[in-house]
Amino acid sequence: MSTHDDTKESKEGWIKPRPPRMYVNPLPVRIWHWVNALGFILLILTGLQIRYADLYSLMSFETAVKTHNWIAFTVIGNYFIWLGFYLFTDNIKVYLPELDAKKFFDRAFRQILHYSYGIFRGRKGPHKVLPLDKFNALQSMTYQVVMLLIVPIQFVTGIMMWDVKRFEKPIAMLGGIENVDLAHMLIFIFFVGFIIAHSYMGALGHSRTAHFKEMFTGYKDEPQEDERTPRL
Amino acid sequence: MKVGSRLSDPAECTLARLPILITFLLSCMLFSNVLYAQATPEAEPAAAEPTAEAVTTSEAVPESDTTEAVVTQTPEEKAAAKLADTLKKNKKCLNCHKRERTKLLEDGTELPLQVHRDDYLASAHGEVKCTSCHRAIGKRKHPSKKENISISSARDYSIEMNKSCKMCHRDEFKLYEKSVHAALVTQGSADAPVCTSCHSAHAIETMDEYRADTGFPCKSCHENIYVSYSESVHGRARTEGNTIRDTDIQSPICADCHEAHQIPALAIGDILRTACIECHGDITLEHSKWLPNAGTHLDIVSCAVCHAPFARQKFDLHLHDNTANAPVAQEGDQSLQEQLQAIAAEDGDLDPLETWKARGGFSQSGEPADISLRSRMEVMSGIAAHQIANKSFAVRTCDSCHESDSRESKRVTVSITQPDGRKQSFETDREILSSVGDINTISDFYALGGNKNKFLDYLVLLSFFGAVAGVAGHYTMGKLIAKDKKKELTDVNA
Repeated sequence: MSTHDDTKESKEGWIKPRPPRMYVNPLPVRIWHWVNALGFILLILTGLQIRYADLYSLMSFETAVKTHNWIAFTVIGNYFIWLGFYLFTDNIKVYLPELDAKKFFDRAFRQILHYSYGIFRGRKGPHKVLPLDKFNALQSMTYQVVMLLIVPIQFVTGIMMWDVKRFEKPIAMLGGIENVDLAHMLIFIFFVGFIIAHSYMGALGHSRTAHFKEMFTGYKDEPQEDERTPRL
Repeated sequence: MKVGSRLSDPAECTLARLPILITFLLSCMLFSNVLYAQATPEAEPAAAEPTAEAVTTSEAVPESDTTEAVVTQTPEEKAAAKLADTLKKNKKCLNCHKRERTKLLEDGTELPLQVHRDDYLASAHGEVKCTSCHRAIGKRKHPSKKENISISSARDYSIEMNKSCKMCHRDEFKLYEKSVHAALVTQGSADAPVCTSCHSAHAIETMDEYRADTGFPCKSCHENIYVSYSESVHGRARTEGNTIRDTDIQSPICADCHEAHQIPALAIGDILRTACIECHGDITLEHSKWLPNAGTHLDIVSCAVCHAPFARQKFDLHLHDNTANAPVAQEGDQSLQEQLQAIAAEDGDLDPLETWKARGGFSQSGEPADISLRSRMEVMSGIAAHQIANKSFAVRTCDSCHESDSRESKRVTVSITQPDGRKQSFETDREILSSVGDINTISDFYALGGNKNKFLDYLVLLSFFGAVAGVAGHYTMGKLIAKDKKKELTDVNA
């Protein structure tokens, strides 16, 4: 059916034949991603304001704390959109870890080689993106650790500091509020770097804006697959 | 039907009433016990009196008369007779003691022996026998030139006389014994109050006489504190007679927070907060309306820190014994500060507090004590603690604590509970609040932005500039390689 339509359209010259498109980022993922991105930036800004009230004053300390709390709970709720979507759909395959260590390290190494050389030579990455296998080895490792370990720790420590009195016992178990804050701070420091690196790598698609468009439309616009273009 | 039939059975009827009967008997017993318990303290001095009063035959007769008369007299008549007897006896004493006489004491001072008759009779003790308190002075025991009672000093006599107050006012005396005042008296302070210091010896007044506008009797020693109190929202409301809205609760006087006899050390722990909450019960709710982490703030920040807006503030680190879960109380004569100074003089490099802890702190066995620092925000002085202002002047700017600049203006003290229950604090290096090594020492205290770890600040910069440098590096490398490739191609073409 579709083949017939395409032929008809192209014959009459109304529409150019569409480049092949692949739906890699479903709507819940896109909503989660951008809410999260905005949330993280605001959390970092308010967080900096809370910690460095003496260096700059974008807003009062009181406003900073309250905004930080509100955004934080939005981001936590948002996390469950992500978690729910992946838990209850086949998309979870995207995050399933590669358990064969040899395979994993081989792929990770090839990916590093690509990022440090091949990418500059216009070569394609060693990983072929498919809707249910969209992350390369480095991505899948990073995102698993970030989403299942680092982000939840940040949420838990943040919630503890939001109501220190209520979470007195767990805080004491962790050795006091200073330790909880230390963990929260270290992860915050990680995310400062992460966001910069993540945005830069987002611009490393076949065009500067390709990955950003993917994250908005959900479709991966692949230029005509040229089998002669070498990988790695 | 069933109930009716049951009641009609006489045997069952008695059985049904049995619990009521037992309850009645028990409550009768209880009631009589209470009566007995109330009568006992009264009975003691009365029973003791005949021995104290030198029993002559002429006096013994009326004594026995009254005891016989008890059988026929009503309680009112009995009381009236007793009162008449007391006044008669007191008159004997006052006849001489109305005169301006003094007694030479061992320390060379003179003790006035004059008792103003009218003042005494009008006082709360007006109907109490002189000998009830002055037990050592009976008719036969009255000091004379032959049998002089030697008194070392007026102060010693006042302390000695404290015991006679205990006979009747046992509960108050027990509270007093726990107080800072009593502890200071025991330590030998020359100024710490005994009962008569506040209540006077012979013109004893009741609680109603302690008025906010005069500050009596606390003001006589604590004048500075009284002045700041009288200018505070509490003092002014009291003098103006204002009450808390919709109630007849008046603004507090000294004893409402400090408790007349117990005088707990309010500066330690959250005793003060408990005192505030007694009237301001809704504070947790009121604060949580706007203040994040209201509960923690109320735990750690002393009320006066925000509500005495002109007071200077300090971070106070109180030594806390984790094993006993109580504030560390000082032992021995040498104060903690002296001990720490001695340690600091010995080995300059180590933290004196850590060394002191490692040497056993105040633990008896000499084993390293499990001592941590419990931190609170306090005001600098007791005077400041009383300058509570109207709510609308309370500090509501978070920056005054949550900003490291503001921290610079605040002092940091380490404090310990003295043997008398008072707090002793001394200043320490404020770096203690932000150094990495002290995380475990003061793990319960953290003011966001107020005491921050410098190491983490450097990490923030490292993360930011590291990421930027990485991006720039990767980008530059890409450009260089691309250029190289172009050159390669042009070379090949050539």
